[in-house]
Amino acid sequence: MPDVAVVTLTRRVLLVVVLAVQLVLMLPQLIDHPHAPPAWLAYALLTAVLAAVATLVAAGSPTVPPILAALPLGASVLATTALPDGASLGPADWGFGLVGWYLLLVLVDRPPALIAALAAHICFSVGWFAHDGNGDAGTAGVVILSGTSFQLGVLVITRVLHRDAELAAEAAAAHDAARTREELARQREQDLRAGFEGQLGALLPLLADLADERVSTEDPGTRLRCSVAAVQLRRLFAENDDVPDPLLHELTACVDVAERRGVVVQLAVSGTATPVPTEVRRELVAPMAQALAVAHGRAKVSLLRTATEVRVAVVADAEHEPPEAAKPNEVTVETSVHSGLVRSEARWRTA
Amino acid sequence: MADGVTAVLVDDHPVVRAGVAHWLSTADVELVASGEDPAVAWDGPGATADVVVLDLHLNSVTPATAELRKLVEDGRRVIVYSMRSDDEIALQCLEIGALSYLTKAEGADHLVQAVKAAAEGHSYTPPALAGALAGDRSETRPALSPRETEVLVEWFQSESKEFVAQRLNITLSTVNSHLERIRVKYAAIGRQAPTKAALVARAIQDGLIGLDDL
Repeated sequence: MPDVAVVTLTRRVLLVVVLAVQLVLMLPQLIDHPHAPPAWLAYALLTAVLAAVATLVAAGSPTVPPILAALPLGASVLATTALPDGASLGPADWGFGLVGWYLLLVLVDRPPALIAALAAHICFSVGWFAHDGNGDAGTAGVVILSGTSFQLGVLVITRVLHRDAELAAEAAAAHDAARTREELARQREQDLRAGFEGQLGALLPLLADLADERVSTEDPGTRLRCSVAAVQLRRLFAENDDVPDPLLHELTACVDVAERRGVVVQLAVSGTATPVPTEVRRELVAPMAQALAVAHGRAKVSLLRTATEVRVAVVADAEHEPPEAAKPNEVTVETSVHSGLVRSEARWRTA
Repeated sequence: MADGVTAVLVDDHPVVRAGVAHWLSTADVELVASGEDPAVAWDGPGATADVVVLDLHLNSVTPATAELRKLVEDGRRVIVYSMRSDDEIALQCLEIGALSYLTKAEGADHLVQAVKAAAEGHSYTPPALAGALAGDRSETRPALSPRETEVLVEWFQSESKEFVAQRLNITLSTVNSHLERIRVKYAAIGRQAPTKAALVARAIQDGLIGLDDL
């Protein structure tokens, strides 16, 4: 429960308390005893404050102007000075307790101001008692203590509620922040995994099969899968390198892996470098990487960049057809086998 | 020598000269002179050789394009033999009038074929040069038919004319005539040179290309 809610709820309760005290407890005292006329003015002032605060609270206003506290204080002076002789802090003194409740009503969310106003009110009443009281200090003390302690008790309860509400709000905010962080971390991990799975292609299933001993490296099929995965992985490592010609860089990386396997690869490049988006680069390089993975003997890789097209091709000695690659979205791929030569070409229209 | 083809080689590396001499001798081409100075192509036996094989980098960082121009303007049939594989310099050499541009990474076979073609006044387009032509984005480049472009690209990619013929379902000689037509189209643009004019004239004479195509 936020601060505002605590204060508003407290004011509503206090409104009921003040109304009850004013009507049920104090009005009979005002009527039964011979007060001077200003007492009625004081009563009217207090009623006006009650109406003002009730209106503000009903309108949903979280605060009450502290200047309103001047009215109960004024009413305190009027009511005290209008008391019959020797009635100060006695049964006829209707104003002492009521003004205290009013100060609480107006200043409940401003404890220092409330304490100051209450102190001023009590000092004035005590001063008046000394000036015009019946001399029964014991009874007067009990009246002061009983009234004031009630009001201070309400103030303390309000502050405690207030503090608890703050703590609860802080705890809720901390909890929310932790939830958000957790959710973000989970999302990030999922993205990373999805991204890598997409790019790692054949690697993860191969590693799983090797780990479970479902396949053996003795098997030529497995070795073929290994070489496909090696080329894919090497290309993936090269993908984020900061180089002037990323496409050529990735092609060179794949050629390098094939050369380590003993394939004699010739790489020919023609035309000037054009910017190629990462996704398109992946699709352009993938068929050539697959073909190189099955190549034996000699291979020629070529990169051609014309005004309208980027074409990556490989012609290689190969016994097998290259494994099926993921279906491309942006590029056109054509793979064919002619008399012991595999040819694969990926084309991307730049314009 | 069987078909009497003679060549002169200008290259600053003795090992290259020795290697090229050996390659050509096994293909019945006589290397009549060789040296690191272009003068070998102007004086003595080199002056009358059918083909000049010219290294573009003779003890200098600047390519010997001026030497190439002088030889071409004199009507010599020149093959540029360079260690550089960038497209721009290759296209520039064709523009000047070289009948072929070979990189030293390309083997004996291409060099021998280039020399034999040049001796007849024909062009020769090795795969790397085909790539340079296919990737040419200059505004002055000639318009190639889709089939010609496809032959050029497939030849660049596979380095095997048999493979290109099989892929495109055409004969080997059709592959060669497509490549020759492309070179004739290139010879018809830009500055004039005797070898380029001869290339175009011969192509029209042989019906390889019509005037409308140029």
